[in-house]
Amino acid sequence: MTSLIRGKVRRKTFVAREDLLSHLAEIAERKGFSLYAFVNNIFELVIKAEDAGLNLKRFLDDYTAVKRAKEAGFILWLERLCYVMADIAYERSRNQAVKEWFEAGMWFAKRYILGFEDKCWEEFVRDLKALLWNVQEFEVEQNGDVVTLRVLSPKFTEAYTHLLNAFLEGCISAFGYVVSFKEVYRGRIFLEAIKAGGETERR
Amino acid sequence: MGRLKGGKKLVYVSEDVLEAIAEVCREKGVAIGRFIEDALKQAVRLEELGYNVEEVADILEVIKAQKILGGAFIPQEVLNFMINVVYKAKSEELRAGCFESGKLYGRYMREKFSNPIEALKRFLETSRWDLSEVNVSSEGNINRLRCVSTVLSVEGTELLTKFVEGVIRGLGYEVLKVEFIKGIVIMEFKKV
Repeated sequence: MTSLIRGKVRRKTFVAREDLLSHLAEIAERKGFSLYAFVNNIFELVIKAEDAGLNLKRFLDDYTAVKRAKEAGFILWLERLCYVMADIAYERSRNQAVKEWFEAGMWFAKRYILGFEDKCWEEFVRDLKALLWNVQEFEVEQNGDVVTLRVLSPKFTEAYTHLLNAFLEGCISAFGYVVSFKEVYRGRIFLEAIKAGGETERR
Repeated sequence: MGRLKGGKKLVYVSEDVLEAIAEVCREKGVAIGRFIEDALKQAVRLEELGYNVEEVADILEVIKAQKILGGAFIPQEVLNFMINVVYKAKSEELRAGCFESGKLYGRYMREKFSNPIEALKRFLETSRWDLSEVNVSSEGNINRLRCVSTVLSVEGTELLTKFVEGVIRGLGYEVLKVEFIKGIVIMEFKKV
């Protein structure tokens, strides 16, 4: 429980875990701040985040994903133009467009398989959810050898939906899943996939 | 820092900041102690991840703006492919789309940031990581923006140019000069 004791020059004290404060004191010293100044900076940042409607933990999760996206060769682009471009590319060069998106998905997923070993699926799903911030609903479930992905986003165009589906299929195929059922239409993707060589597939 | 029983310590913080925290906690219905501990944990995590607490405040604003205004992640290779395909047929439409989107971003920045030119620079540095350099300088009432990228194609550079031109117009500035070649955009502008 925090106790607030009024200090002299409009300062107050609060109680916090000693290990946390010691860690912060080390960081502050390294950066050339007093602990007081550093802790104030932290709280100002947290307040700023709250005022902006953002939660620092959530932001950190998102920002970590953004950093990984950057490392994985993603770029932030204008969403509306993505749809326009997807429509035209899909109309003019459908097979190549699907191939490009599928391969991008495979490449994206392989980075997790190679980089995270035991936790690769969890890390992949967490980052994918953060990266698809323009998707209204995105759910991934893994049940034994079976994986299901659901995407719902009414603003997607038909072409963009199919291309995103190709990306997702590329991702799950990199993890060794084979699509067993899919339903794709404007703004909606449902994919069910089974681990190749897994129990479910053998049955 | 005063030591208390049970692995706790007392630490000073400015009264104003603590009052603001108390206000946030009241609104959220959370205990101040828990809130403070979470904030400190996240700060440690920030530093461990190699981020800087001061920089993160700026990045927060940019990410929020991108979420509001419609930024979407797309694999660079896929984007390059689509630009190549689409540019042949609809380059004018693409340029116009970039310009109009830029204007919207500019209007948003004008309303939200006290120094919108600095906000533009931060925005480009934070969200356009295909740029290796973003520089803004001023001489009198003339501002000069320079963006450099080693990976942008000619088409990508042109679309970035139109987008930035739109942002500058949206910010309420008049674009005086635009130059671009593959990977470099230079723009001069002044307040209307």
